[in-house]
Amino acid sequence: MTLVTIGLLALITFTTRYLFLEGKLPLRLGPNVKQLLSFSAPAVLTAIFAPILFVHDQQLDLSYTNEYIWGGLAAIMAAYKTHSVYWTIGVGTGAFLLGGNFL
Amino acid sequence: MFSRRKALLAAVRKGALDMLPLSLAVLPWGILFGSLAIQRGFSGLEAQLFSAIIFGGAVQIVTVELMAENTPLLTVLFSALVISSRHFLYGLSLREQLRSKPLRWRLGLGFLLTDELFSLSGDRRAYRNKYRLFYAVGAGGSFYLAWNAWTALGIIAGAWLPDMTDLGLDFAIAATFIALVIPDIKSLPILVCVLVSTILSVIFSIYAMELGLVAAALMGMTAGFSVQKLRQV
Repeated sequence: MTLVTIGLLALITFTTRYLFLEGKLPLRLGPNVKQLLSFSAPAVLTAIFAPILFVHDQQLDLSYTNEYIWGGLAAIMAAYKTHSVYWTIGVGTGAFLLGGNFL
Repeated sequence: MFSRRKALLAAVRKGALDMLPLSLAVLPWGILFGSLAIQRGFSGLEAQLFSAIIFGGAVQIVTVELMAENTPLLTVLFSALVISSRHFLYGLSLREQLRSKPLRWRLGLGFLLTDELFSLSGDRRAYRNKYRLFYAVGAGGSFYLAWNAWTALGIIAGAWLPDMTDLGLDFAIAATFIALVIPDIKSLPILVCVLVSTILSVIFSIYAMELGLVAAALMGMTAGFSVQKLRQV
């Protein structure tokens, strides 16, 4: 049963990824829709990381003891200055760990 | 002929190299998933199968927890659909580039289309020619191998590791996506899109709204699009 469930889950994730790549799907995207979709990467990735920083146990945490915010701010500055994934993760995680230990 | 093969191989290598920081950033999550699955009573084979054929992050961790609690099948599947629904946007965004490509390319790249691969697909010429396709295979394929290797590590270490779900490993994911989004904020419309997406995703998450992530993203996209339109008038 577990294997069947894993198989069904695989089918679901694959379908969500593949569906709109299928050419036979009768769907034409106009220029406005294309322009709208050009914002999908920043919009989705932001909607994934923002709650990780600000929401814990379903509560808004804007206190200065929230090490996720300090880590996030450091990561944002590092990303802005260096444009490097390595530096961003390194500096962000450093600030996150410091915050977790000292706040 | 020989040099063409060399160039394609170089494209694969470039893709894997560009993906490397993201492949490394999910190491803690892969280990967390592998050990979590073992701790929740799954066999090593089943745990590896999650990463081998589902190949998702959040969706694997959530469904493993649900299955361990004997949640009804339909609820498990529905949760997976909700978490995975953001991929519809990725498929739509890449539709024009990929719809006319041969089936094996679409199936292969569709399977590999994670948040991480999509985030490397922003270039206008992405997927346009054979080299770009091989680049994507290098990026997506190397990420697949890394995710499965990290899962295996978690499975092996599983029994000795503590419950890692509360260790703050999710910060690595946040930092990775910050690294991908911030350098892309090159115009006012994108900045507005990111700000709206931030505020709404936080609000929706506080209220644990189903599809909150996708709703916040769609409204962020609409906000960015509107600002762009207004500035064109």
